[in-house]
Amino acid sequence: MFEQLVTIICNYVEVEPENVHPESRFMEDLGFTSFDFMSMLGEVEDEFDIEIDEHEAANIRTVGEAVEYLEKLQAEA
Amino acid sequence: MLCSTIRQILLNTQKEYGSEDAVRYKIAKNTIEAKTYTQLREDSESFSCALSALGEQGSHVAVIGATSYPWLVAYFGTVNCGSVAVPLDASLPAEELCELIDRADVTVLVLDEIRKDVGAIVKERCPKLKYLISMQKKESGEEALSFWQLLREHRGACDYEPEPDKLCTILFTSGTTGKSKGVMLTQRNLAENATCLDMKIPPRTVILSVLPIHHAYCLSMDILKGISLGSVICINDSLLRVAKNIKLFQPNMILMVPLMIETMAKKLEEVSGLPAALVKRQVFGKQFHTICSGGAYLPPAMIDLFGRYGITILQGYGMTECSPVISTTVSWNIRKESVGQILPNCEAKTVDEELWVRGSSVMLGYYKMPEETAETLVDGWLRTGDLGYVDEDGFVYLTGRKKNLIITKNGENVSPEELENKIGENRLVQEILVREKEGVIEAEIYPDYEYAKKKHIKDIRAALQQIIDDYNQGAPAYKKVYSLKVRETEFEKNTSRKIKRY
Repeated sequence: MFEQLVTIICNYVEVEPENVHPESRFMEDLGFTSFDFMSMLGEVEDEFDIEIDEHEAANIRTVGEAVEYLEKLQAEA
Repeated sequence: MLCSTIRQILLNTQKEYGSEDAVRYKIAKNTIEAKTYTQLREDSESFSCALSALGEQGSHVAVIGATSYPWLVAYFGTVNCGSVAVPLDASLPAEELCELIDRADVTVLVLDEIRKDVGAIVKERCPKLKYLISMQKKESGEEALSFWQLLREHRGACDYEPEPDKLCTILFTSGTTGKSKGVMLTQRNLAENATCLDMKIPPRTVILSVLPIHHAYCLSMDILKGISLGSVICINDSLLRVAKNIKLFQPNMILMVPLMIETMAKKLEEVSGLPAALVKRQVFGKQFHTICSGGAYLPPAMIDLFGRYGITILQGYGMTECSPVISTTVSWNIRKESVGQILPNCEAKTVDEELWVRGSSVMLGYYKMPEETAETLVDGWLRTGDLGYVDEDGFVYLTGRKKNLIITKNGENVSPEELENKIGENRLVQEILVREKEGVIEAEIYPDYEYAKKKHIKDIRAALQQIIDDYNQGAPAYKKVYSLKVRETEFEKNTSRKIKRY
């Protein structure tokens, strides 16, 4: 999951995959805008065939938190 | 056709396109439902009848929720019977929403159940509120009335003719003092803003509405202008799914803020090696041709980039206080460095480098804020707070901002003072300055080093970051602070001991 997410992340911001860590923060460290983040989650929905709640997603701050949230959704699906 | 009331806009279009779709929205992943112009008119008139039956015709009616068919019905039903709609930002904390409901003297609240947390406290916090109407509840109960049951019970026509110069909508916008201000707009303000300029947009244009509906730009341009043109308004259910919804609804046009345009630009640049026509067909569809941009500054390079894909970006400029459009670009007369030509119902002048405007879309004033109104409206002229000028052809050029207000890339106005006051409540924060830096909100803090010593706080930066994190927890996305700068010396002050902002 982490590796797949890193690949998608690198399509949105100019950052090398090796510089993306679980503790990297989307906005502060990786340079995401709020709409970049939303659009990426839309892509993640398709990639993993899950449905993300926009309001829950708003609390995600780091890559690690995103992985945890997505894994939880996958487990429920 | 120039209309002076919102009712006139809806009725004119309903006469011409009654049986055609007015609104399309998703009810399941790939299933679309539609409502016709006749249904929109009839349902909104039934809502007017319901307000009248509740004894609330003429009252202030707040609407909280994402864009939806019930939201539109509640809005038109309210303003078309002479009542005052108060659309509120569904992303605000419940406490803040209650404060606005109370301050706007709201007696009826129409609420989307996504904010049932507001429903749980609103009656206790807002003593003037008499009715809570749920957009989703099937049956009316003690807690809340059912929107749909009200429509069924009060089905009927409403032939009330609203007066053009009467207040019809209060929209809240960030104030420079930290307290948001209720912008009072009349029927004429909004209706003429939406209809005074023929932008040569063909009837039945399919619009995908992606912006929050409590924003003047979305309300006026997506909804009121869209309806005046007999457009099909498609509702985007989530910002997560703009790309998917473009494929599903196949729009011709989308209103966006620069932040969204820039994200799409990144995706386009990624595939710049592929033929432009193919990329455009894949991403936007063959039928797509126009993006309207407003709310914040758009880098002119975006116009060229999208132009290569056969997409026209029409840039506009405005503010809620002007209902909101002041100027817009039209497809046959684009000047990239300008924010378009001034609307025909508006005139402008420059006073001490600041742009002042006057015309039929300028607000009545701020609700119950006479001092702030007097500072902003001078002899009928609206002080925009923007530095700029208008050339001899009516093109508006902006050069900067006079007020401290931060305009984020998604067009949200953020008052730095509001954030400074909130974060500054902590004892560790001695002085604070909030500003926009490289697209995000930055807080620069001069901590109270004495206090830190007394409290044995060793890692001051981490302690300040914790304060910011705590603040961010309760703040809507556009008010979150993403950058922290810690100072070792006090801020430079002006003669009245205020921190020099620039």
